[in-house]
Amino acid sequence: MGEPLLVLVVIALGTYAMRAAFLVTARARPPAALARMLPNVGPAVLAAITLPALLAPRGHITPTDTVPALVAAAVAALVWRRTRSLPLALFAGLGLSLLARAVLP
Amino acid sequence: MSTPVDRAPAAHLHRGARDTVAVIVAYVPFGLTVGAAMANSGVSPLVAWASSPLLFGGAGQLISVQLLGAGAGSAVTVLAALVVNARFLLYSAALAPHVADWPRRARWLGAHLLADPVYALAAARFSDPAAAGRPRDRMAYYAGAGVTLWCAWMLLTGLGMLLAGVLPAGFRLELAAPLTFLLLLLPMLRGRAALVAAAAGGLAAAAAAGLPLGLNVLVGAAVGVAAGTLAGGRHG
Repeated sequence: MGEPLLVLVVIALGTYAMRAAFLVTARARPPAALARMLPNVGPAVLAAITLPALLAPRGHITPTDTVPALVAAAVAALVWRRTRSLPLALFAGLGLSLLARAVLP
Repeated sequence: MSTPVDRAPAAHLHRGARDTVAVIVAYVPFGLTVGAAMANSGVSPLVAWASSPLLFGGAGQLISVQLLGAGAGSAVTVLAALVVNARFLLYSAALAPHVADWPRRARWLGAHLLADPVYALAAARFSDPAAAGRPRDRMAYYAGAGVTLWCAWMLLTGLGMLLAGVLPAGFRLELAAPLTFLLLLLPMLRGRAALVAAAAGGLAAAAAAGLPLGLNVLVGAAVGVAAGTLAGGRHG
């Protein structure tokens, strides 16, 4: 029990250091070049997490995995645009993907 | 009745908590899945669950606990988890201009709460001058979002561990996480630079999907930020 917990504590310290690094040294006006880049971090990182996972939900691009995932994503995005409700959009997408998986061979 | 000025931070706190409840509902499948995976990892349950308060981030917790359960070396496990969590360094940089006028202690405390949804909610709100408010309002919103999600994450992952043996074998929710992240991404897609950043980042990460340790996310982040900045500089 001791060693796994120690490893987790080390990871936690490293993770905290990365989270804190810029927050605690923040300046109200970062250099102009940096200020133009920073707003793009969120869209870039979240898309970089999302798109590969949608294209290959279980690690490989296959019609039976990829098609339901992309349809579910499209439906979720559509419901979100209409309702601005995150849970509603998520469960519409999830429900559709389960349905598609049941229908597809 | 207090004046609107006095009420403002409390209203922002509530707003942060309320916005987060929607994320938490969406996070139920993801949190349960992370908990169940940790329960099945072979690491003792309490130690595995301790990753929730310690790391507060599903992807990093999954990779650390699963590597520990598989008997991987300590150095490999630490390295893999820190690479997966390196995106927090980017979030920290991106959020920094919005917290520069907070007291230092609030920034030290807030750092631990900087999970993906907290960053996404705060960034979307703080970048809108009409909604952001004064420093205290922003602190209140951030605290409302962060503390609410932190508490819910402890419960959800714990529940997932307890239910690990009960969930049906066909209970496959691998789409819950990417769909939730998609829904955190959509409110950020305001303007051409953000759209270009997301498209380039997503495609680059997909093209680099073969890299180990989730390094493709960092590749996507770099390409996306560069492309978005170029697009914004030319047209924004």
